[in-house]
Amino acid sequence: MKILGAIIIIAASTWAGFEWAKKLSERPKQLRQLKVALQSLEAEIVYGLTPLGQACIHLAEQLPKPLAWFFETVNKKLEEGSSSAQEAWDSSLNEIWKFTAFRQGEMEVMRQLGATIGKHDRDHQQKQLRLALIHLEREEGEAKEEQVKYEKMIKSLGFLAGILLVILLI
Amino acid sequence: MKEILDVLPDTIRRVIEQMDTDIKKGIEEIRIRILRPLEIIVDGKSIIPDSDGGKHVITPQESGQLLNKLSQYSLYALEEELKRGYITIQGGHRVGLAGKVITEKGQVKAIKHIASFNIRVAKQKVGIADRFVPYLYDGKWLNTILIGPPQTGKTTLLRDLARIISTGDIARKLPSFKVGIVDERSEIAGCVNGVPQHHLGDRIDVLDACPKAEGMMMMIRSMSPDVLVVDEIGRKEDSEAILEAVNAGIQIIMTMHGNTMEDLFRRPSIRPLLDMGVFDRMIELTRANGPGTINRIRNQHGKEVYCKKVI
Repeated sequence: MKILGAIIIIAASTWAGFEWAKKLSERPKQLRQLKVALQSLEAEIVYGLTPLGQACIHLAEQLPKPLAWFFETVNKKLEEGSSSAQEAWDSSLNEIWKFTAFRQGEMEVMRQLGATIGKHDRDHQQKQLRLALIHLEREEGEAKEEQVKYEKMIKSLGFLAGILLVILLI
Repeated sequence: MKEILDVLPDTIRRVIEQMDTDIKKGIEEIRIRILRPLEIIVDGKSIIPDSDGGKHVITPQESGQLLNKLSQYSLYALEEELKRGYITIQGGHRVGLAGKVITEKGQVKAIKHIASFNIRVAKQKVGIADRFVPYLYDGKWLNTILIGPPQTGKTTLLRDLARIISTGDIARKLPSFKVGIVDERSEIAGCVNGVPQHHLGDRIDVLDACPKAEGMMMMIRSMSPDVLVVDEIGRKEDSEAILEAVNAGIQIIMTMHGNTMEDLFRRPSIRPLLDMGVFDRMIELTRANGPGTINRIRNQHGKEVYCKKVI
């Protein structure tokens, strides 16, 4: 009976550790996807001259889940006749944010991009997108560092915490 | 009208929807200027509509919303339109723009800070050219030039001619022809994303926003039209392209600013065409009895083949 309980405790804590570590590895992955998204957006705007709503549909088709939702929502809000592109962008950010692994830094970058989106000519639009990409790159670097530093540790920490608890209980 | 109401901000749309149905039908222009009252031109007369007991003064927010709708929230996609100073929207309506102009090396680059919008309601008058067909068709379509000052309905007549040519008329034993339209100012076909918004028949190909001279050559080379339709010729390159088309056996229907045939003689760029007798028919339009009044139709020798009867 005791052994069974111990196994359950260790399994649970190990699982918790892995979950926590997954969050750490999810962030750089999603940041990478966001960068790809903004690069595609740049191509749509600068070379395709695609209207924002249409460009968002294209992006939503290309991207994996949480990010695809974001662009889908932006397009939906534009079609519903939002008063400005910024408003559609910001409210979509707020809605989708909780489903992503992003943090405040990325949020700020995206907000700033939203303030300029669709309001300027091609050159200016490209500059803003490039700027956002540079910021995201920095965030991605930090996220990766964090992942390397803590991912393994957290995984083993979960397992070890389980063992500690079992020893204490025995 | 529906297409126009769709792009207007809610507040302005409500003002227009409140107007009488009769007046609404006659709307020619909707003029929107920041911080000034909304103006509507109905049958040539200016109307300042009331809303809640006062004039409806346009706020900067409203103009921002209008611009957002017009550009589909993407100003960058309107670069070419902002250079030309107007946008064509669904339904072929045109929105003229004015504001601060940005220039680059002396050429207009774009309009920034747009302060005035002039929404011109496009009305296709189907059938107005019908009664002139016998003068313009003789086994084949004759090379025709429509001459008239601005606002005399040249383009409207041209559009209807294009429709008749491309659809044909079985009752009159009029076969249908392939028609190529070079629509430099997007006025004849009123294209949105290359698709004509006016009803022009099935056998129409449109080069939208294309410079006329180049466009005519492109059409001749690649689209094999039977009839070419162009608006407002006048430059030297235009007449060269026209000559090229005529020699290729393509019939041309075109328009030009002026009052009478004699005005054409004063244009050095068009003169050679006249001397060669390129224009089989010359239609002179006036605004005397409203836009679209045809004064007379003359043939290449200047003889009248149709004259408006003075009542």
